[in-house]
Amino acid sequence: MSDTDELKNGESPSNENPSSESTSKSITRRRFILGVIAGGAVVSAASYRFLAPHGRTYTTGERLITINVNGKPRRVDVMKQETLAWTLRYKLGLTGTKLGCDRAECGACTVTIDDVPHYSCSVLTHTVRGRKVTTIEGLAAADGTLHPVQKAVVDEQGFQCAFCMSGFIMSTVGFLKTNPNPTRSELAHGVSGNLCRCQDYTKILDALMRGAEYTRRA
Amino acid sequence: MAIIRDVMPAFDLLQPSTSADAQKLLEQCGDDAWVMAGGMDSFDWLKDRIKKPKVVVDLSGIDELKGIRVTGDGVEIGAMTTLTEIANHAEIRKNYGVLSQAVSLVASPQIRNQGTLGGNVSQDVRCWYYRDGWPCYRAGGNICYADTPVGRNREHAIFGADRCVAVHPSDSVPALIALDAKFVLQTPKGERTVDAEDYFVGPDMDITKINMLQPGDLLTAIRIPSTWAGSRFYFEKVRDRNVWDFPLMNVASAIMLSGNTIGRMRIAVNAVSPRPMRLKAVEDAVQGKPADATTGEMAGKMAVEGAVPLQFNAYKIPLMRNLVKRAIAGVPSQQA
Amino acid sequence: MPPIPAHEPTKPEDEKPLPFGSGYKLIGKDYSTNDLVAKVTGQSKYAEDFRAEGMLFCRLVLSPMPHGRIKSINAEKALAMPGVRGILTAAEVPGHADYINDNGTRIKADKWGELALTDEPMYQGEPILAVAAVDELTAANAIEMIEIEMEPLPFNTDPVDSLRPGSANAREDGNVWVREDGDHGREKLTSFKWTDEDFAAEKEGRMPTGKATEHWSYGDVDAGFKNAAVVLDETFLTADVSHQCLETRTAMAHWQNGKLYVYTGTQSTFQTVAAIARWMQIDEDKVVFISEYTGGGFGSKITGALTLVIPALLSKKLNAPVMMRISREEEHFIGRARPGIRARTKIGFAKDGRITAVDMFLVSDAGSYGSSGDGGACGSITSLLYQPPAMRWRNVTVATNTPPRSAQSAPGGMQAIAIIEPILSKAARKLGVDQVALRRVNCPEGKAEFGPPNPRTGKRGYTTSCFLKQALDAGAKQFNWSERAARQPKQIGSKVRGMGVSLSTYHGGSTGFDGLIMVTPQGRVQIQSGIGNLGTEAVIDVHRAAAEVLNMPWEACDIVWGDTSKHLPYTCASGGSQTTHAMTRAAHAVGLECAQRLKEVAAKSLGGQPDDYEVANLRVSRKGGGGGMSFAEAAQHAIKLGGIYDGHDVNPDVDKATQQAVTALAGQGLVASAKDKFPHDGDSYSYLACFAEVEADVETGKYHIVDYLAYADVGTVLHPAALGGQVLGRSTLGIAHAIGQKWVIDPQYGATVAKRFYQNKPPTILDVPVDMKWNALNIPDPETPVGARGCGEPPVGGGCASILNALSDALGDDIFQRTPVNADTILTSYEAGRPMQNPLLAHI
Repeated sequence: MSDTDELKNGESPSNENPSSESTSKSITRRRFILGVIAGGAVVSAASYRFLAPHGRTYTTGERLITINVNGKPRRVDVMKQETLAWTLRYKLGLTGTKLGCDRAECGACTVTIDDVPHYSCSVLTHTVRGRKVTTIEGLAAADGTLHPVQKAVVDEQGFQCAFCMSGFIMSTVGFLKTNPNPTRSELAHGVSGNLCRCQDYTKILDALMRGAEYTRRA
Repeated sequence: MAIIRDVMPAFDLLQPSTSADAQKLLEQCGDDAWVMAGGMDSFDWLKDRIKKPKVVVDLSGIDELKGIRVTGDGVEIGAMTTLTEIANHAEIRKNYGVLSQAVSLVASPQIRNQGTLGGNVSQDVRCWYYRDGWPCYRAGGNICYADTPVGRNREHAIFGADRCVAVHPSDSVPALIALDAKFVLQTPKGERTVDAEDYFVGPDMDITKINMLQPGDLLTAIRIPSTWAGSRFYFEKVRDRNVWDFPLMNVASAIMLSGNTIGRMRIAVNAVSPRPMRLKAVEDAVQGKPADATTGEMAGKMAVEGAVPLQFNAYKIPLMRNLVKRAIAGVPSQQA
Repeated sequence: MPPIPAHEPTKPEDEKPLPFGSGYKLIGKDYSTNDLVAKVTGQSKYAEDFRAEGMLFCRLVLSPMPHGRIKSINAEKALAMPGVRGILTAAEVPGHADYINDNGTRIKADKWGELALTDEPMYQGEPILAVAAVDELTAANAIEMIEIEMEPLPFNTDPVDSLRPGSANAREDGNVWVREDGDHGREKLTSFKWTDEDFAAEKEGRMPTGKATEHWSYGDVDAGFKNAAVVLDETFLTADVSHQCLETRTAMAHWQNGKLYVYTGTQSTFQTVAAIARWMQIDEDKVVFISEYTGGGFGSKITGALTLVIPALLSKKLNAPVMMRISREEEHFIGRARPGIRARTKIGFAKDGRITAVDMFLVSDAGSYGSSGDGGACGSITSLLYQPPAMRWRNVTVATNTPPRSAQSAPGGMQAIAIIEPILSKAARKLGVDQVALRRVNCPEGKAEFGPPNPRTGKRGYTTSCFLKQALDAGAKQFNWSERAARQPKQIGSKVRGMGVSLSTYHGGSTGFDGLIMVTPQGRVQIQSGIGNLGTEAVIDVHRAAAEVLNMPWEACDIVWGDTSKHLPYTCASGGSQTTHAMTRAAHAVGLECAQRLKEVAAKSLGGQPDDYEVANLRVSRKGGGGGMSFAEAAQHAIKLGGIYDGHDVNPDVDKATQQAVTALAGQGLVASAKDKFPHDGDSYSYLACFAEVEADVETGKYHIVDYLAYADVGTVLHPAALGGQVLGRSTLGIAHAIGQKWVIDPQYGATVAKRFYQNKPPTILDVPVDMKWNALNIPDPETPVGARGCGEPPVGGGCASILNALSDALGDDIFQRTPVNADTILTSYEAGRPMQNPLLAHI
């Protein structure tokens, strides 16, 4: 498929460079022309970068944008309706962020955006341009030194199956920024947007309280 | 055609940066547009592929819709202000505590970090038949699945049913009604301000709608007058789980006391009716009476007059009676 | 030689609790398991985290109706869409076939069995079609272009209603499971109805009873009731509760050189290969199974999940890897659930609270596929945990058009305890006996008998050991039961407090599996683990028993797990809390075997007899000093020696699969394998005493758990932190049944309406106390070398029932006769001033 095939929306991919992003939220952009909208919205297919490296780079409705993930700018094709969880997992290979429900009611997909915990299943990737996304993979130092909360979980043998673990850890890291010295009950409220189906909540709180302590000391 | 309740269909995403642009866009797109604030309600509809808008207008980039302004007469809260910000705001905590309490009990921390006040007041009902795409009255059909002898209606209405028996699920709305808040709308005809309780539409008026917004309308702000600042507030939410769940019922009240005598009072209850309920008769009846258990019990009984329970929600009658009582007399702490 | 377990009858009162880890270097000590760093850094790979070149995505079409027949499928438009690669229909799924089980017995095909896709869906939400495309969006769009014509068929979602004369059956050929040829025959479905007279009890709000399809009894039940001071006759309904593992049963599959590679979650890595081979109808040696991390099982993924054949078949058909992501809603339908049981139970009590007789009648809801063993387990657990001198058990297992059930932590046992415990509480109040005291007089002890007499031998089964009375006493002390019970007043304002205690038990282990160890020429000890990794850490913990025997530092052990191409030994299925018991035995056995081989190698190289040597600190040394060699040197010598030492000859004791694994490892080091042949007298069970305090607000119906303690008798504590996770995690699984988790089904449409977490309500971190407490006796089980029993299932029933008992203590008897108990139930009864709940009305 050639690039020209992809331009049926009248939207040139070449405009989608980082320097144009600051204006991309502006109403003046031609994608607001109704005819364009009607023509382009229904038929769409996601490209899968890891699987089809030699295939198409653009498909209808997709855009190449830059997002800041774990301190690095990452350039990535993102569909308009794509969630951050999907981009992280399937476009950037950051599979530590889990999809447990995809409906904002389990917390396994929690990441921080500008240090605030969010359900990445319920954030459109296009809305995080210019913001700082941190995932579980971005916590440890480059030399492998674990983040204090990670270290605490290892020390306390926190969690069982751990499918919820990255979400809990990200919630804790975000919560500790606003309340570095929580009581056990405050921390439980802080991570209450995360569901554990092994229901090992007491040991989780043991580990996360230890994490708060390590974070204060760090 | 086969059904799949997963994977958001494609849409075009419009990201205006001013509210004027947003309003103009909504006007242009008309019925094709879906307004997304925090997205916590929108994503369910979209991911379930029940709603397939051509265009989603994302309000998250509009800075002028965010933030809390202390004005000469109360506070003005931008529609895109997150619930977390409201819950933590010093002035609101100090003078309008019923609202900080209400929003801090919404859903979960992450949802409050992203969910907005505009979104919370504008969210759709949660009737599980309707939300699952069954062709009920509210969805434009001609049947109610919840109101049958075996329909599952534990969470449904005891008041205001008119073909539809869904309830309004918002936690912030009763607090806003109690505070006599005003909703500010930008419409094709210019700015409009309405009383909080008038923002909502019952099935008797338009069964497919939950609020008065027309295509092209945008809720931009909510103004809380200083009238009730610092009065005695009460908020209580009863829900099954202590996180995430919508209210089985909530109540919010503001009382101006002189001594222990009720001067004026505003009280609203939600999750009992398709529209949030302001209890005007109760407000009038308690005026001049002591804020005690006797008045509370009288008010509670009055509040549930005319309630019509469904098969599985009769418990809502004592619950409402007791919550209204507590809104006046507080939680009993004496030995029984 | 292994320590020979005692055969004399145990005297529980002589056994003293020990501090965790006493007498051991590794066992009973906390440590961080080898898989934790990968988990906390997001590097651990669960099924949906694997990627393969050219991977396609498949999505499912679910049945919109509870029972129907597909008349036609038109996928023409879908298949013509760009990016759509193919569909899979029921016709392409291997049908029901005979298979040979582990014992070499041919198991006849089950025509009522479940298949991955069907033309006759038996429940709303059953998969009927799969679509594969280049991405999920294309697959979803394609699904909406497919036309499916279906004929609706009669259905029934209520098991008791299904027994009513003239009511619809779940299937055209019946509604009730019966055994052909008595107790040992195969189960078949038949049409089975009670009479109108049988249903008369319904009008009094009691569960009706009629003919039973299964029954047993022992003792003189009638005399027991005649001699009772109090006889209670109660109806109770336990809820259907989904497993809802946080990781859904997502699966990825691809084929390479004629072999099928499957990636999905499982509880039992080794055992899943045979299941896949059976479902796919291919040979086991054509299956490679990868499951490094599994996001929860609780009985729903004992050998993975049947739906994994969908990506496997699509992958073969389309010649590309296929990922099938299962959504949360799909998981609600296909992800399994605990069968709800409707029970009518009559219990007689003597003045001191001792049970004189139990008469239990159950209607078990088996859902849409297969019979259910829960009713049977419900009977036998009741007879064990409360030791009735006489008991009659009757059961009818009914098929309904509701999602399939499976084992869920403490299958049947949890329901038994939830059914019986509230009756004990009520009896204690009627008799004026303390709740703990009433449990104490009924508590099992030592080699406790359970179940009906074996028809062949006339003897009843019995346990290996039971120290529950000690756990009850220790728990009551730690919980300050007496002080709390004496505290007054119970009600302050609208808040009323109540306390509950519950006994709890379930199976705690099996025997006869293999261990496999290789000492490498680098001096590492590589332990092959065929256990699934559910985070209970059994996958790693049990091997501490081998390292303990080898008297070596844990840091020199490498555990190999999660991939059946890596040569794993014959391993138990991780279900029914078998693993800790079964696999510590196997690990202990192979540790001894490995030590023996090391000594033999040393003797052959350095002279003397093997018994002249001892193994410690990664060396084989002459006793009393004077030479020896490192493990690394011993491994190098073993390779030179060959034969039995490096795996070229195989220990004939071990299973065929272990032999193959040994052969595959041959020549790479000192390879030791062994089978658990340790004696074992009795059946292993684990036990807990559970305590709870609740506070309810009678004006709102809301309540919260103030405090919770579970005190365990699980034998030797292997890994305290992991055990604590199990005790409190599975307690909370049980608590969830009491406080809210449920199904909601509209019976008119046979449709599930609660598919979301906010609707079916798994507990959040704020629904339980922030500091739940646990403890364990740490008395070794005398019938197993390490003394450790399993603890996955046993806490569940006690978790649930301690809350139920605390609630009835706070609110009064008869407020609820069904789980879960919520504000609506409490308020409705309070408002009416009398019990208002119709116990038989489920799925509200």
